[in-house]
Amino acid sequence: MAKQYHLLLLCLISLPISSGGTAASAQEDASRIHVNVVLVQVNVAVTDRNGNYVSGLRPEDFVVTEDNISEKISTFDEGSEPTRRLIMSESTSDNSVPADPGKPDSASSDPVRIPTSQYAGANVFILFDTSNYMYKEFVFAQDAIADFVRSLEGVNQVALYSYSRNLSRVATLTSDRSKILRSVRSTVAGDDEALYNCLLLTVKDAAHLTGRKAIVVFSNGPDNASLVPPEDVAELAQSTGTIIYMISTQEAQKEPISSAVFERVSKATGGKAYFSRNWRDQKQAFASIRDDLAHLYTLSYYPQPNPNRGWRAINVKLAGKNLQKYHLRTRVGYRLLNQP
Amino acid sequence: MKCLLRPFAVLLEVLLFLCLCVPFDAAQTAQSTARADTSSPPIATVTIPGPLRSFMRLASISQKVSPEDVLPLLARNIYMQGYRGGVPTEYLILLDRYVHQARELQILAGSNNTIRVASCDDAGTLVQILGYRLRQGCGQKNVLLETANPERAFLTIDSGFPLTELEEALQSGTPFTYPYPATQVPALYRESDWVSLNAGERRTFGNLLDILLSNPSIARLYWALTKNDAETSVALQRSVGLRKLLPFAPTLDFYGSQICIRSGRVITPGAPATDAAWKDLVGASPDAPGDFVTHLLAKDVGWLAAYFDVLARVNRKQQVHLTEGPRLKHLYEAFRDPDLDLTATRGVFRKAPDLLVLFTRLEWQPDGELRVPGGLEVWKDIFQQKSNSKTVHDWAKRARSWNQPEQLLEGMTALSRVENESGPVRIYLTLSELDKERSPENRLSAETVRLLANKFSEFGDWYLVFSEFPDLNDASISRFLTLASSMEGISNLALRGNALGTFQANVGLWQILARQGEIPSAQINASWQKMMEPFARISSPTQLFDAVHASLGEILLASSGKPNRSQDEIVDLLASPPQDTPDGQRIHQEMAVKIRSVLNDQRLATLDTLFALSDGLKEMKPGGATSERLLALAAELHEFEMPRPIFTKSEKISWAPKVYSSHHAELQVKTDLTKVIKGSASRSQLDSARGLLIPFLRDTLVGLNYAYYEPPGAQVLHNNPLFVRSHDFSGMSIIGADRPWRAPVLMGVGTPAGGGAYLMGSLADLSYALAMTEQDFIAPENVQALIWKELAPALLVSATLPRWWTVSPNELRAVALYQKGGEELLIAAVKDPPLREKVIDILSDRMAPQRLDRISQSLQRGEAPAVMLPRMMPAETFYLAVEFRQRFPTENASLGKPGLELDTLSQRYPAEVGWNRLSRDFGVPHPTLARTNARELLNMEPVPFFGGYSSRLFGESWESGNLYWARLADELGYPPVMLNRLVPELTLRMTAKIFATELEDWPAMLRAMQETGQELRQGKVAALPLSNTTISRTEPPAAERPEK
Repeated sequence: MAKQYHLLLLCLISLPISSGGTAASAQEDASRIHVNVVLVQVNVAVTDRNGNYVSGLRPEDFVVTEDNISEKISTFDEGSEPTRRLIMSESTSDNSVPADPGKPDSASSDPVRIPTSQYAGANVFILFDTSNYMYKEFVFAQDAIADFVRSLEGVNQVALYSYSRNLSRVATLTSDRSKILRSVRSTVAGDDEALYNCLLLTVKDAAHLTGRKAIVVFSNGPDNASLVPPEDVAELAQSTGTIIYMISTQEAQKEPISSAVFERVSKATGGKAYFSRNWRDQKQAFASIRDDLAHLYTLSYYPQPNPNRGWRAINVKLAGKNLQKYHLRTRVGYRLLNQP
Repeated sequence: MKCLLRPFAVLLEVLLFLCLCVPFDAAQTAQSTARADTSSPPIATVTIPGPLRSFMRLASISQKVSPEDVLPLLARNIYMQGYRGGVPTEYLILLDRYVHQARELQILAGSNNTIRVASCDDAGTLVQILGYRLRQGCGQKNVLLETANPERAFLTIDSGFPLTELEEALQSGTPFTYPYPATQVPALYRESDWVSLNAGERRTFGNLLDILLSNPSIARLYWALTKNDAETSVALQRSVGLRKLLPFAPTLDFYGSQICIRSGRVITPGAPATDAAWKDLVGASPDAPGDFVTHLLAKDVGWLAAYFDVLARVNRKQQVHLTEGPRLKHLYEAFRDPDLDLTATRGVFRKAPDLLVLFTRLEWQPDGELRVPGGLEVWKDIFQQKSNSKTVHDWAKRARSWNQPEQLLEGMTALSRVENESGPVRIYLTLSELDKERSPENRLSAETVRLLANKFSEFGDWYLVFSEFPDLNDASISRFLTLASSMEGISNLALRGNALGTFQANVGLWQILARQGEIPSAQINASWQKMMEPFARISSPTQLFDAVHASLGEILLASSGKPNRSQDEIVDLLASPPQDTPDGQRIHQEMAVKIRSVLNDQRLATLDTLFALSDGLKEMKPGGATSERLLALAAELHEFEMPRPIFTKSEKISWAPKVYSSHHAELQVKTDLTKVIKGSASRSQLDSARGLLIPFLRDTLVGLNYAYYEPPGAQVLHNNPLFVRSHDFSGMSIIGADRPWRAPVLMGVGTPAGGGAYLMGSLADLSYALAMTEQDFIAPENVQALIWKELAPALLVSATLPRWWTVSPNELRAVALYQKGGEELLIAAVKDPPLREKVIDILSDRMAPQRLDRISQSLQRGEAPAVMLPRMMPAETFYLAVEFRQRFPTENASLGKPGLELDTLSQRYPAEVGWNRLSRDFGVPHPTLARTNARELLNMEPVPFFGGYSSRLFGESWESGNLYWARLADELGYPPVMLNRLVPELTLRMTAKIFATELEDWPAMLRAMQETGQELRQGKVAALPLSNTTISRTEPPAAERPEK
């Protein structure tokens, strides 16, 4: 089984930066293990006990471990601030270390500012449930999505997908908000609801992107047509560093499976689920997501040698007693994705 | 408005020409032509309020249909979707509301047909009609529209009104202008005819649109009549009248499209020789169309019409057999229900699909007798099946005294009316196909036929293997059935599941390698039997592991000369036969990578690990030193982890109580061989430990089968690592499941707490089951379009089951030339009436009367190739050229340059470009229609849609795809081996582009295919860059040449 992860690495190789945990490989031979892992990116929301975002934290305030192995933060940014490069991964004889292909001359371990284009602002995919379950509230949900689109600030690009049994890529990522608004109004009502199928496809579309990316799902559930379970979608979202927010109404909470999944999937990916009274009453959710995207800390690291080829648990803590009063929300791990 | 009226001018022109029927002869055509001006229906138009695009959205009509198809499809949708239990559905309510809203907007648009809003203050009425309101008043910042009246707002959105543009105009203070014209669409007959028909109803209307919306019976009649050719429609109206036809609308809808009236008489199947027999049967002469059609529709609550319809659909050769002498009458007497308990029009789908398949596929002896596999005596026994059906009982009694095959035919005709998936008809169809391809000395024996029939209900789905490989002899068939039956006796459920899974997986691998020619035909029987033999005695998991290993070794020995191969080598064998060209090797590598990718994503243990572990445990001495190597191998088994749970166990039990598919996977997670390896295990403990490997071995072998048949665009195979492991071979996940050898069914859909979908059943017909699973992940390109579950899997199977490793460049060229030759024939037929007759005569064998009529009109009108040819299906032009060359070998010049090139190719490479080879390499599998996965071009009229099991018939009769992709490959200079990559990718894209209104929407498929081809030509398919090795060797298709 190990063979699938093996790559013959006879020299140091640099790999492109990725936001997830993809493209890990290991080669075991008689004398050493070469590990080749791309950058792992972790988005962290830090709030006080009242739910207010805590800003101004520094890289050294965070402690990151992966499978209880301490990790060195490589890049750091807060909200839409430019990303700071803190270190280059260490190069040792036991560790083939990737360098950032975008910064071939960067050998310093001092924090440096790197261009904002790569990370600044988030890419947001809106996934709109147009199934039968939404029929009665369809137009109100559309109004809500239109409001949400208008409210998005500091976001790079937005895409609008809709789904019932199949996914419809109504508008692919664009910075043209007017196009997205038109797309919102062009969606049509459908039939069965295959949320997890379509969420999976959306996560896969987002997976290719670097930087902060989020999927905001407008759905009341329940799923009655998916073939993949929510576990697989959650794992993929975590492994690709995609945050999932679920916007729903109290109608969904009458159905325990959907509400449980909405809560747990979003939490596992570092997002949140919102259940408002109805689709006309989503202001709080929108503000929260907008604030979230604007205030997230984004840390990245090159994992230390780790023989675990399965699920890797990520733990992010704040250092120092003074900071223990704050709450952290982030993804809890990732799985190495196979490379054929 | 001028441009809107253009289609009606064209239609008018079209209708001035005569239409044609099938079957009929050329003389009838000419005769009909002379009467064209008196047989066309009058032209009428109906006003649709508002833009047609908006109306079609609300009416669920594809945006890509032409205006003349709007009313027929509207009528169809109204009667199909508009009512449930006599009560209007939401579909109809919304459509009705939309029409009212559109009429309001029409008034607002005024005589200029344009909605204008000069400023925000001017927007009130419009915004109100649309069901919105301004969130802030005019003059405020950020003027926004929000829902005020959800019913109206829904219509506004669903009809595609440009709400955002209106909002932006209000925000910017600029005028909003939106053209809002009413649209005229053609209608059948005069509008007043329909108004009269509706007179006397509870609600009366002055226009056809409102009548269709309010009267489902009239809607159904309208839809039914638009499926006839023009002359027949006119004749029906004149000779019968709409009022008399109205009660027969359901019969006409299901079984009326083949009715064809020419020159005042009905063309009957087998005509003219059968006219007297039909007169006798129907009770009216075909020379009196009104009487004949009325009697036909009325007789036996629609069953005679159903019989007529089937006979009209089969080709002329079959018609001659089936209507010969008293057979026509006798068969109908058998077919009709003596008690007439059930009407032929009950339900949503037409009845008796088996009759169509039976009559299409019947095989005849040279003396005109029915071919009977195994002889008549066996069939007398087969008819003695247990059944609750009175019809089956009656025919079982009659069967005892049969003494001629004709009686068997009558019996099967009778039972074709009874839905029974394991009845004598299905058995006959299967065994007949199975016997057909066998050499005379290898025909099925009576005993084998009996055995196959007895086991049909259990193992019938596996008989596809025997029909695909006719060299498998009676002994091979018998051995399979004996072994398969014996496995049913394994009492341990887990062991039985593993035995079934591994056995079927190995048979599946054998099938792949035999199909790819890697198992030499001389070794077909020996390798088959040796592959099965190790499974003869299974009593423990360890024994099963060794049996599977030995069985696999036999497959590998037969296919590669060595019994032991690494997993990588096995994947290479599956990927393709050895390739000796750089292109072939490149595509081979790609296929191998695809297979490995599925194995990796399913996180399956490798065969190398499993066999090495087994060997190591075998070699270990009890109490001996611990082997680090074995420990490392055992650790690899532990690498598989269940997905991170979202639900607790109790939640799973209460939220997905009926679905428990992960038992097999959970056992694997618990398997730990390290204790045995480290400890001082006894011999029996070591042996038992080897037995623990069998679930892993099963999954990897099953995984290889899954990976081979991976449909394009697959997601479950790559994202649900439990999918292969969850395959339920013994039916343990569902209480009451008792058919483990039948084709797999998809379970666990839409149960989020159930761990995902999985397959339950056997590996028979796996490619279809996987296509069924993965088709939901295809994202339609058009708003409102659907991925049709009844169609997409068959399309995907046609692209994944066949491979094209042995196709030669000459073959590829020939396939393209035949299609082009067919087009040249059509072009030449425009100016050559005798040729036209020949062309129409050939096409009549595979076209419905209406379609043939339209083609004929195009030819007579001299329509430009660019207009006419895109309406032809590639299978039609291909068939036309092939048949023409065969029937008129001295007239090849009519095929133009392609014909000349075909002559040269045929002379030099007769075997490569002959029909049999092309049919085998570019045909599609017809597991339902022809009971085999062998590829073949059946060249038949598209099969209508039936419900349930028979829904696959429809998809299987689409044979144009592979022919068209091959033509594109030739045109763009791709090597033949590239088809292995092109066909799945293009089929996937085509499926995403299909924008159909109804299940039998062939034009939508044709459109989607052509759009896909166009994208490929333009280099827009990123996954398939244009070939850089060869420049197009051919002229552009005739359809794309500039008009002269």
